Amino acid sequence: MCAIVGGGLAGFCAYATLRKGGLEPAEIVVLGTDPDPAAVWRIRSAAIRQRRMRSESDGHCAPSSFPGLAVRAALRRRSAAPLVQSVCDRYHPSVDEFLEHLEELRAATRWDESFQRSRVDRVRAVDGGFEVDGHGVFPHVLLAPGHPGLAWPDELAADSRAVHAYEPHDFADTVEIVGAGMAAATEWLNALAAGASVVSVRRREPERRPLNLPRELFSRRGLAGYHRSVAAERIAILERYGAPSYPAGRAWDEPVESARRGGRFRVASELNGAPQVVCATGFKRGFRHNPLLARLVAEHGLETAGEWIVLTPDSTVGSLTDAERTLALAGAPAQWAFPAADTLVGAKYAARRFHRKVSAWRTR
Amino acid sequence: MAYTLRGRIESRVAAALVPLLAGCILALVLQAWWPVELAGLMLGVGLLFDIAYHRLVTYQPGWAALPLGLLELGAIMGLAHLLHVGAPLWAALAFYAGSWLLAQALGHAIFPLARLSYGEDGGELGRAGAGLAATALVLLAAAGGVAWATQPPVVHLAAGVHEGPLVLDYSQQLVGEPGAVVRGGIIVTADDVTIRDVTVVGGEHGIQVESAERVLLERVNVFDATLDGINVRRGQVTIRDCSVSMLGNEFGQGIDISFTADLAPSLVENCLLTGGQEGIFLDSVHAMARGNHVRRTTLRGITVTEMAMVAVEGNTVEDALGIGIFCSDYSMCDIRENSITGIRPDPDSSDSMREGYGIVSHYWAHAEVEDNDVSRSPYEMGEFSDAYITSE
Repeated sequence: MCAIVGGGLAGFCAYATLRKGGLEPAEIVVLGTDPDPAAVWRIRSAAIRQRRMRSESDGHCAPSSFPGLAVRAALRRRSAAPLVQSVCDRYHPSVDEFLEHLEELRAATRWDESFQRSRVDRVRAVDGGFEVDGHGVFPHVLLAPGHPGLAWPDELAADSRAVHAYEPHDFADTVEIVGAGMAAATEWLNALAAGASVVSVRRREPERRPLNLPRELFSRRGLAGYHRSVAAERIAILERYGAPSYPAGRAWDEPVESARRGGRFRVASELNGAPQVVCATGFKRGFRHNPLLARLVAEHGLETAGEWIVLTPDSTVGSLTDAERTLALAGAPAQWAFPAADTLVGAKYAARRFHRKVSAWRTR
Repeated sequence: MAYTLRGRIESRVAAALVPLLAGCILALVLQAWWPVELAGLMLGVGLLFDIAYHRLVTYQPGWAALPLGLLELGAIMGLAHLLHVGAPLWAALAFYAGSWLLAQALGHAIFPLARLSYGEDGGELGRAGAGLAATALVLLAAAGGVAWATQPPVVHLAAGVHEGPLVLDYSQQLVGEPGAVVRGGIIVTADDVTIRDVTVVGGEHGIQVESAERVLLERVNVFDATLDGINVRRGQVTIRDCSVSMLGNEFGQGIDISFTADLAPSLVENCLLTGGQEGIFLDSVHAMARGNHVRRTTLRGITVTEMAMVAVEGNTVEDALGIGIFCSDYSMCDIRENSITGIRPDPDSSDSMREGYGIVSHYWAHAEVEDNDVSRSPYEMGEFSDAYITSE
């Protein structure tokens, strides 16, 4: 019997992986606040009017990377174009395709049979496993609590002009967009398309790369060195790659350049009194912002480094994991094990290793 | 994918298993070693390239498999040529293409399905990887062992004169040390015989091949045979880098291959043939005569006759009496890029064909000619008795 705390995308990836590994719905408890695993993600992607995923063909929640969304699109459209785009790393599924696939997977895995609506505030190590906030003791628990909340610049927290990019909003005639990552770049295009003039407020130039991390850090090739690094090095790597980035390409550059020539887009280092400020500043970072994780660390004296909980390379909490029990983290809090933990690939990284632990325990 | 080195090697070896197995089966069916040799070569070249890729290619997008595959194909075909892997070109290309497609299917679909963490493990296959590598090694070792065990024995012929005729009636490689001479001829009656670096003096035929296939005569020198220098009947041979001297022999041929039309083609290549009635005589055969030097023959330089199908290519024929290259009796001859010089009229013959022709097509034969150079001869080409000559 195992529990997944968190009913979002990372929790859903873990559930699908466990099901693929042979566990029945009755053997898994999922504790979350909404039965739709994409509920929160759906709101945020709609807020920034996201139409295509940054991820590629394997950016889905199914346990196996094949068949990816490009294969599905090719079969549906009866066209090899998605496959050709995919081998050239140019295929980005639409948000609708991603969500449709997720819905199919949700039904196929019988997610709703395992889901229990509950907010978990405390997980505690006890004999035989972990006591999950009144839901019983489970030998294997995966925590996938998601991002701890939206990040606001301090000076805008109480400013009535400010709206976060991940909250529903329209655009004023002139809008200042704070940030330089994927959400900010998306909002520049959204505001320009809505006829607004845009001021990009940013302290540094964004990096341009296809995914939010270099590709080798998605596989053992880059991870081996990452896992060998000492805490200070690892923190530096995470901070470096936590800096804003968005993909290169004409689709991003041309509208901005055109608006710049027309006087509708400019870059500034500080806010300058525009009627609307969109904060594309992402999420709060660190376990301390998450009450569940903060309490877990405090009660068990878990090792931490900077804003991260120290994890083993298989994404488990080493001091609370042994042959009899497993405490794993997935999603953004699992970056110590996998720098891109807040991506779908990252969620599956944690899920597969959690499944190995559960599977080894079951077959002993 | 961002492969690790181990991932590249394990994926490569695992993908090579089926081609290796197919190579073994094909080798059994075709009774030829080239499928196993080719599969082994593909694996070896691939592993060497993998080491280079690991340093040079941090992340390999899917499309890169195509140019890298072509690069490896070029290396494999080049090495196959250098190592004399006897694979037919199109069969080798088809074998490679099938193996490459299988590797793509495995890498993109089957491995990720079988091992969920295949991508994030950089292509590593875990315990299965080691098992598959061991299986591939066992398969290669077994095939190599069988190949080694079934190789014909090598018989070394010491320097000095050995009294013949030697009769080779079982598969073997007869290899002469420098100065090895057989007096009285060699007779081959078994398949898969190789004779290399041997000088033969005398004998009715210098070397006689009788109903034997896959016979290789390489760097043999033949002198003073009573009839033919090399005589092949109902056999399939490759004769390469030889010399046959028939000066003073009134009726013999330098090389005579006859009555083998139903067998695999024979090849005569880079031989020096001097004297005799005809330098190369090909009768009712499928064959190629390429890059030979024929001179001072008394009847014709090269003869193709009796429904033979022969390519005569890049040869030099000089100082022949009557006819340089003769295509006769319903034969089909592809005659190209030969140099024919000094063909003399035969004063003792009333046959009009023998008035000094570079190329003659005779009696319903069809000679296709291209880029031949005929010089110091009365006639360049002639058609006789309903035969014809065409050129592209």
